[in-house]
Amino acid sequence: MNDSERAAPVDEAELSTLLGGADRDGRAVRITGGNTLAGMGARPPVDLEILTTTIAGVIDFEPDDLTVAVLAGTRLSELATSLAERRQMLPFDAPLATKATVGGALAAGWRGPRRHVYGPPRDWVIGSHVVLADGTVARAGGMVVKNVAGYDLSRLYVGSFGTLSVLVRANLKTLAVPERTRAFFAALPDGSLERTIAQLRDLRVVPAAAFWFDGFSAADDRPAGDDGRLAIFLEGSTALVDRAGLELRSALGRGGVPATHVLDNRAPAALERIVNAYVSALGQRSISYRIGSLPSEAIAAAEAAAECARRFDLRHERIVDLMNGDTILRVSELDVRRLAACMKDFDDALHRELPNAIVIACEHPGRDTLQLWGREPAAIATMRALKRRFDPNNVLNPGRFVGGI
Amino acid sequence: MPDSAHDGLHRRLVEALGAGAVKTEPEDLAVYSFDAYTGGGTPAAVVLPASTREVSAVVKIARDCGQPIVARGAGTGLCGGAVPVAGGVVIGTSRMNGVLEVDVRNRRARVGPGLINLDLSRAVRSDGLFYAPDPASQKTSTIGGNIATNAGGPHCLSYGTTVNHVLGLEIVDAEGEVTTTSVDDYGYDLTAVLTGSEGTLGIVTSAWVRLQRLPEAVGVWVAAFGDIESASEAVSSIIAAGIVPTALEMMDRVIAGAVEAAFKAGYPTDAAAVLLIEQAGYADDIAACERAIAAIAKQHGAVSWRSARTQAERDALWAGRKGAAGATGRIAPNYYTQDVCVPRSKLPAALRVVEQTAREYDLTIGNVFHAGDGNLHPLMMYDRRDRRQVAAVVEGGNAILQAAIDLGGTISGEHGIGYEKRDAMTRVYSTEDLATMGRVRDVFDPHRSLNPEKIFPAGTRCAEMVPPPQ
Repeated sequence: MNDSERAAPVDEAELSTLLGGADRDGRAVRITGGNTLAGMGARPPVDLEILTTTIAGVIDFEPDDLTVAVLAGTRLSELATSLAERRQMLPFDAPLATKATVGGALAAGWRGPRRHVYGPPRDWVIGSHVVLADGTVARAGGMVVKNVAGYDLSRLYVGSFGTLSVLVRANLKTLAVPERTRAFFAALPDGSLERTIAQLRDLRVVPAAAFWFDGFSAADDRPAGDDGRLAIFLEGSTALVDRAGLELRSALGRGGVPATHVLDNRAPAALERIVNAYVSALGQRSISYRIGSLPSEAIAAAEAAAECARRFDLRHERIVDLMNGDTILRVSELDVRRLAACMKDFDDALHRELPNAIVIACEHPGRDTLQLWGREPAAIATMRALKRRFDPNNVLNPGRFVGGI
Repeated sequence: MPDSAHDGLHRRLVEALGAGAVKTEPEDLAVYSFDAYTGGGTPAAVVLPASTREVSAVVKIARDCGQPIVARGAGTGLCGGAVPVAGGVVIGTSRMNGVLEVDVRNRRARVGPGLINLDLSRAVRSDGLFYAPDPASQKTSTIGGNIATNAGGPHCLSYGTTVNHVLGLEIVDAEGEVTTTSVDDYGYDLTAVLTGSEGTLGIVTSAWVRLQRLPEAVGVWVAAFGDIESASEAVSSIIAAGIVPTALEMMDRVIAGAVEAAFKAGYPTDAAAVLLIEQAGYADDIAACERAIAAIAKQHGAVSWRSARTQAERDALWAGRKGAAGATGRIAPNYYTQDVCVPRSKLPAALRVVEQTAREYDLTIGNVFHAGDGNLHPLMMYDRRDRRQVAAVVEGGNAILQAAIDLGGTISGEHGIGYEKRDAMTRVYSTEDLATMGRVRDVFDPHRSLNPEKIFPAGTRCAEMVPPPQ
């Protein structure tokens, strides 16, 4: 797969020519942005790799409209810098923002920890320009924030992993940067986890993000208690965050947490560090899963995941996004051969308990034998039909996505 | 259409659903040839299924009999989306109106498509929750219809339109098979593409929707302006300051007068334009938000600023806003609502076009709209018995549509395309853009049997619509 030809088109027209040619010749194409989410999905060999990073730039920032049009290869950090000049932002919270591209984050439909407040990336997309497998250039939506003219194809493309079309330009809504972000870190003493989580549920001010950690010092290396540790982020006006912080600290106290450590200016960086850890692999020695559940069942799911790892004697670390119900489970084994010997059985066992677990980071050569996308969705037949209709020659990222799409 | 032509269809539908759920009498069918836009086409039958299984059975029977299917909620749509233009079987969802499950802890509910929008918020209020999308029709329109049109409403400025609140769908497809979608699944976001597809891709038989916590505090304010231009500039400045209130609505003198005459809601009637502003959220923020917005309003020459002091005052202001279109009955017997959306900084320019259109075509046009979204709703008042006025409304509406496009906007912000605007689709999309949408249609409905003659432009029309829009 490293021998494939590479191309870096500079604009939509060049991309269209490249794809049209590949489609005629039946050559499989991989679409690559910042390659930061390469751990998601299968990696079958391709004939041509197309880099999108040369189609980059913020082309139409309209701060007074709270909208921006950006080319797909733009790094998330570059977009963030442009928006920050007018104190605006996008709440995608995708990992490795200095490398990751807008197109990649959208193609992955990245599910960040603040989405319970701000919505997922697809709710920020108001329009798109794409190139289809046969080279057709098509647009959807526009530059207005409300638009019901025809099917919402922009949202369909988000999360499609480049298997329906290649994004060239996205039109996005933006929002004002909150006046204040404040992070609270706490070690949880033995037996305090359940009580603390019950307290968090009843907070009057909903946190922008809340995590429970077991291990994962890359995300946060503050000391842990016997029940792990917490990181909670509050966002909003200074007055609101001040009050919410007081309420949070008394809630944590009632939960049995004796002390909290507070970060103000460095809180956004702390959040980035946590999200980066989601996809951090320990060389070829680890597999990271994302396990979705209802928020009310998140801790139980995380426990089931850990129990499964214990049965296989695999080292395991967890991040639980308490607001959205995601568990990030990273299992690892120093001996790569032992990992190779048990990873398939572990993966099967994990999916028996938690069928919707997906792999989000794994560099082990045997990765493609895992159930990378978990259980097939109920509407898989319709999804396959859509793939056939958009890409009949199976040229775009073939085999990478759900159900072999 | 005489019954006899559809005897076989009627017999099979009655066998499947029982006689009580199948309407075949001409006077019943006539009722279902209309929605809030206009009428046209007569259905071969109307069915009122009570379950997903019954919807599936109806679709299979209709397919066997070569009849198209038109799903219908409350018929409040404003663009002919529920009109059976090509005849066929109308599936009314009114009996599938249950709140099927409420998951308070995870703030979500599963509902039937025929559930009236407001009934959902009422059902979960005691749990401290509400359902955010609130089209002005929410006392009558259904969640299924709202999903079909991706309905908006005043509060979608900060909460987002219907698509932001749908978590998963159960649909019956064109073959009569049942499929489910969920935004939590990995795979294509079918939930998103089904929402707003106006019944052309499937029939929603139940939906998981997001519920939200009732806000801790709410501020509702009214700002009055001496001219509409200043009011629209104030709106643009509020958004440009990064302030996105929960709702930011505008009405002009024509509408405020009609609303006050009908509801005594508390709006000034001597101002050229009035802004209705709401911020819901945490108590700490409401006062600061009021100060910031009031300062911007004053910079733009607001002549008065009033804060609603009680829940009753807030409710009255909102009742007036949501009843505004109906209140125009005092001005003229008929009205037509245009629905266009422009970039928010283009609001002043768009309103100038509306004013100019009123002068040029000698029409009374009232403005009542979601200013914060840039979503205009010029209400063009007329008497349908007067051919000159009818022609003026058609031409004037068209002029406003074109102006919105020229300003970088779109031809529908929230009402939908339906039958009314399908031929205007070519003005905002290229042949390739529309063909790409067509690929999605090919997958879900290859024979174009689900709500035919909608959304996609057509060279030939299958049925005579009653002109003009009413």
